Amino acid sequence: MHIVDGALSAPVLVGGAVLAAAGIGLGLRRLTIEKIPAAGILSATFFVASLIHVPVGPSSVHLIVNGLAGLVLGWAAFPALFVGLLLQAVFFGFGGLLVLGVNTVAIALPAVLVHYACRRGIAAESPHGAAIWGAVGGGAAIALTAGAVALALALSGAEFVPAAQLVLFAHLPVMAVEALLSGAAVLLARRVKPELFGLMQAEAGHA
Amino acid sequence: MRDALAAVALLLACVAAGPAQAHKVVASAYAEGALIEGEVGFSSGDMAPAGTLVEVFDPAGARLGETRTDSDGIFRFTPTQAVTHVFRADLGAGHVAETILAAADMPGATGAPAESPAPAAPAGAAGAADIHALVAAAVRDEIKPLRREIAAYKEKNDLQAVLGGIGYIIGLVGLGYYLAARRKLRQG
Repeated sequence: MHIVDGALSAPVLVGGAVLAAAGIGLGLRRLTIEKIPAAGILSATFFVASLIHVPVGPSSVHLIVNGLAGLVLGWAAFPALFVGLLLQAVFFGFGGLLVLGVNTVAIALPAVLVHYACRRGIAAESPHGAAIWGAVGGGAAIALTAGAVALALALSGAEFVPAAQLVLFAHLPVMAVEALLSGAAVLLARRVKPELFGLMQAEAGHA
Repeated sequence: MRDALAAVALLLACVAAGPAQAHKVVASAYAEGALIEGEVGFSSGDMAPAGTLVEVFDPAGARLGETRTDSDGIFRFTPTQAVTHVFRADLGAGHVAETILAAADMPGATGAPAESPAPAAPAGAAGAADIHALVAAAVRDEIKPLRREIAAYKEKNDLQAVLGGIGYIIGLVGLGYYLAARRKLRQG
């Protein structure tokens, strides 16, 4: 899911960096003191989850868990995922420093979109209903990320439709796994710590 | 607290599952007799599909030529210039591999097969050259597994890197707390 250095053209890199900087700035302003530990834990989860591989045909893809981060953090997912991506680039050589902006947007923007699309669903009365929305969010975030990666490649000259098909097809198993994971995480969080999403409602109240 | 424990348990589970290798594209190139041979593959150990295009450039970006991988993800290229060669393979979906073979490592530059005259053997120059080529081929075959192992080792993500990264995140959380607390104190 990480685009590496050298695959994209300069305007796409600059555009990605600008968008990422804006998202991180907005995210940091929305990062309340109560959300800091959740942001740290989800950042660490994202950082480590990239090491878990799902074999797909001749290749393999890894977990991303950006949907879950978005559901819990909203805009604060931007700085959290950026930190994870930065550390992955430095420690594991995933992606690269030049494409950090594009990768941040491709992974964090879907998280934010999922947050706004699913936040009512997550706050539903029954925990099971919330879990289904969590699963939808987890899967949708991956699909959107795959679309964003394909778009970045297309803007740099690759054919959009084949690139999108390739990326999307490769990530179908990840979508399934992440939908299950997000659903289970939402169910668990609703049972043991409903305040996690209560924070979200509070934010929705005054936003 | 309980969800923090659950999150820690999840993280530990992730770390336990960690030995899976990084999913990125790796490539290497080395002199093989008069040719340049190289490999393109994913760091998971899978090689690039047969027929993957490998483009060759000089350091200034001028195109020197192209070649394709065989079924084992290995490509061969006959160099025509004694300059640094940059090999680039695009495996699609944003996976681009690049590897550089410095001019000093070029075939011939090390002088192995072509120029170093073997000690004058009674069999004559031709025989000595034959022996030399045989020895060179044997040594290459012998060190191939080593080369592979070194390439794999370079891509290894050990627990230290994972723990180090998590340490950075914890540090940043602390920094975030400090800044947020300072903002709050100022307001209050």
